[in-house]
Amino acid sequence: MIEIKNLYFSRDKHQIFTDFSMTLQPSETVLLTGPNGVGKSTLIGLIGGILRPDRGHIIIDNQEISQLNAKRQAQLRSVAPQRRDFQLAFTVEEVINFVPQRMREDNLEFIVDTLRLSGILGKKITELSIGQQERVSLALSLHQRAPYYLLDEPFSAQDSQATADILTVINFLKNNKKGVLVISHNQDALIKNFDRQVMLALPSADPQAFS
Amino acid sequence: MKKSSKSLLAYLIGLTLLIGLFYLSLNIGILDVHSSILSLIGKSDIEATTVWGIRFPRALGAAVIGAGLGVAGAIAQGIFRNPLADPTLIGLSSGATLGTIALISSGASTYGTRGNVAAAVLASALTAILVQWLAPNRGFGLLLTGIAVSAMLTSIAGMLIAISVKPGIQSITFWNFGSLTLLNNATVSMVSPYIEIGIITCFFVSRRMDIYSLGDQSSHYLGVNPQRIRFVAIIGMAFLIGASVSAVGSIAFLGLLVPHIVRLIFGPAHRQMLTFCALTGSIVLLLADLLARTLFVPHEIPLGLLTSLLGAPVLIFLIRLRKASWYSMIEDRK
Repeated sequence: MIEIKNLYFSRDKHQIFTDFSMTLQPSETVLLTGPNGVGKSTLIGLIGGILRPDRGHIIIDNQEISQLNAKRQAQLRSVAPQRRDFQLAFTVEEVINFVPQRMREDNLEFIVDTLRLSGILGKKITELSIGQQERVSLALSLHQRAPYYLLDEPFSAQDSQATADILTVINFLKNNKKGVLVISHNQDALIKNFDRQVMLALPSADPQAFS
Repeated sequence: MKKSSKSLLAYLIGLTLLIGLFYLSLNIGILDVHSSILSLIGKSDIEATTVWGIRFPRALGAAVIGAGLGVAGAIAQGIFRNPLADPTLIGLSSGATLGTIALISSGASTYGTRGNVAAAVLASALTAILVQWLAPNRGFGLLLTGIAVSAMLTSIAGMLIAISVKPGIQSITFWNFGSLTLLNNATVSMVSPYIEIGIITCFFVSRRMDIYSLGDQSSHYLGVNPQRIRFVAIIGMAFLIGASVSAVGSIAFLGLLVPHIVRLIFGPAHRQMLTFCALTGSIVLLLADLLARTLFVPHEIPLGLLTSLLGAPVLIFLIRLRKASWYSMIEDRK
């Protein structure tokens, strides 16, 4: 289980999380929504270990994330960030196989088929469209073996077909006892596909938040 | 399958070229060698001394140092995620140059001693760490800081030469442009271990450099600590650049050019790239040195001038050939 307990986090004197708590269970899919700037990606950064909480705890399967090194963290969760720097002309196949051998989930065929990447495995990542690049980026994260998956805006550059494909993958993860946290700003169309929704709200008393 | 046989073939071709050039380097020069070079082993006449005492260490040094510079260039571009990054731009060379010149002009040590190599490696590493520390970000801020620090250290080195009372220090200018003339068996055997350590260190991080290329966040998410990769890579580069600068001065362009050639042929995967950068670096430096000392006999052209003169057009050609990927990327990244 991922447990976020009494989390406080601020950046540039701007308080983003105040006494925030939530959980993510195995086999659970949660849609994280909220207005722009509310801290959805920040939360993924905190759970993913690139940001440190000011106070509070982020615990994955009884281990405090901030006390683990990058490799141990990567065994507990996989993160698909919103953007990756694809600068070098690796092939799609090479990118998906960036996951070190001993950290791979045995799901490559399913992911490649479902996300419709089999036709472009030999293509250079730098020559693909943004939507294709993001599906490759997603495939890379899904090929990493972990009990929990955190996906930051996986639908943002996708058409309705690709969105349906990604939802199929999320369901596949759930059926394999994985916990999945997905960020999206387009909750209305998607919420029926998730077990539950967590909505982040801007603190209304803080006028700074709207600037 | 097809890809690996292509690289095996390329490897064999490269190795053949290297051996051929090495053989030529032993045979060609101001003095014509009439006997077979193998028959000269163990003899002490003028031909034997020329071949095994002068040309051999020079050719061996060129191969070893060329390999080191090729690898350092590939690692620099990878670590800074920038096709313009070159060990000379980010301060590694100028640090090593200043270290060497400070040591020699102060009289604490002379060229080609153990102290010289160690001081150059240390100065190179310290400069890289200073640049890292001063830079506001990991993108262009880092490169610009490197260029500025480089300029400063080069000036200080120049001043040290100007005010030095040691006779003959001005001849350092020749060394400063890059030249293999000073290489002998002693320097080569002193420098080679540093270069080997540097190459092994770079290979150690090469697999993870592929993941690292996706950015700091992505690296962390995939279990690779980007700071650690940077630190190890910079230490590796300091060994390579420090040792080679202490022996032959800064050789322009090689570190920038070789990785671009290799990447265009074999793709960007770092482990394979490093192997071919080492091989290509050896070939290019051996060839350049052979030309430098035979083109205008009895004059010898400073090697760094030749690598620039030949390297620049090749780079322009390569950039025009392939506009994709790295060459369209010019924007600052946090």
